[in-house]
Amino acid sequence: MMEKKAIRIEADDNVAVVAQDTEPGDSLICSGGSLTAVDAVPAGHKIALTRIPRGAEIVKYAVTIGLASCDIEPGAHVHSHNVEDITDRLCNEYEREFRAGKR
Amino acid sequence: MAGIMAYRRTDGRVGIRNYVLVISMVSCSNSVAERIARATKTIPIVHEQGCTEFEHDHARTVLALTAAGRNPNVGAVLLVGLGCEQTDIEGVRKAIASAGKPVEAILIQKEGGSPQAEKRGIEIVQELKGICASQERVPCSVADLVVGVQCGGSDWTTALSANPVIGVMSDLVIENGGSVLMSEVAGFPGSEHIVASRAVSREVGLQVLDMISELRAEYIETYGQRIEEVNPTPGNKAGGITTLVEKSMGNIKKMGESKVQGVLKLGEEMPRPGLWVIDNRAQGPDPFNLTGLAMQGAVVTAFSSGRGSPVGNAVMPSIKLTGNPDTFRRLESITDFNAGVVIDGASIQETGANLYDLLLEVAGGKETKSEINGNFEYTIPREAARKSPEGGCRR
Repeated sequence: MMEKKAIRIEADDNVAVVAQDTEPGDSLICSGGSLTAVDAVPAGHKIALTRIPRGAEIVKYAVTIGLASCDIEPGAHVHSHNVEDITDRLCNEYEREFRAGKR
Repeated sequence: MAGIMAYRRTDGRVGIRNYVLVISMVSCSNSVAERIARATKTIPIVHEQGCTEFEHDHARTVLALTAAGRNPNVGAVLLVGLGCEQTDIEGVRKAIASAGKPVEAILIQKEGGSPQAEKRGIEIVQELKGICASQERVPCSVADLVVGVQCGGSDWTTALSANPVIGVMSDLVIENGGSVLMSEVAGFPGSEHIVASRAVSREVGLQVLDMISELRAEYIETYGQRIEEVNPTPGNKAGGITTLVEKSMGNIKKMGESKVQGVLKLGEEMPRPGLWVIDNRAQGPDPFNLTGLAMQGAVVTAFSSGRGSPVGNAVMPSIKLTGNPDTFRRLESITDFNAGVVIDGASIQETGANLYDLLLEVAGGKETKSEINGNFEYTIPREAARKSPEGGCRR
């Protein structure tokens, strides 16, 4: 059985992407450390590397990709059920501030 | 600075190949152009247009054919026309010749028919090949290279391994003084704030934001829906993408993290080296975008495909990589580089540096799978005419 893995794309990310279908209790190698999955996480989906409190930023590719819509435990599956999509807000706020000369 | 051996053209630009092209001016001359190219083992460019086109479309046809001939990878060109088509063969000939390379033109009606044109064309191409064979590679540097980046036929590994690996390569090209061209702007909405934040100046930041605002408005006008309403798609979500920022970042990751020098329309000259965004909104199969990069002077493109893709381009090699180790094993005959090692545990940084090494080898003459397999697509990227704010039409 090959070791199961999760890939953290940037050092600042608080989520990683699992490289294979993962079951609760599976131990995963990730960026030199290890991590235990608490949920089933399908290949290509995100897994929390740290505890992410409700309202905190989900960081992947070293940028904010959404907000935690509830407290997320390390090893939990991170997806639409616990992430708020704030794309609109991020893009609109940036653009408004940029055009107003505040950026 | 890393040195490469390449062809320096009289206009100062550098090519990494010395291709001879046979370009058809109109669909009526396609078969003759193809037969000449086949008989001489050169590369044909054929297309479905060149006559009775509206001005907007014809301007794009002429631009695409001219840009093919002017690409620094091209050493010499034969133009093959019918004789009564809309495309002005002499105008195209002059525009390509001004880049300082031999260009000949023949017309089927003038040569006395297809067999005569074919015979004459083959003779001319043999002469052009002789001229190209006498040219030698000279010492050049990465600073002379214009490198395109693209993805297509994506799967869950594209945004995870392949595109971040391309991003590392892009940063290395820029650090060494070279240029990177990124297009696929339809995939920008959702991360335009990130791209704008990397703009080299406030003016360029506005260029990026204006382009994406316009694109968003076009979607609403055409489809009555905002892009966020249909993205991420159910398929994206099933694959693990949660938000549009996340989806979009997977695309722009190929650019690396260098400063964005500006946004260029197709046909607009790159004023200085660096990372540039090409505003090509043609929606279609992958060769649309690849051809757009070649039209802008890219001499090689790093192209990632999770599912595997054979596509190449008539005027530039395409380095195929996949982020999926299984795809690499199954489709090695069309894939040059396995970024899937990242899935197996290799670092993104190290794998990106290896891709950069391969890029330099390809620049020095190593053939890509797309070239070995004879994938020399050239698909003119068609964009719908858009109304300008003044009420007229522009490209």
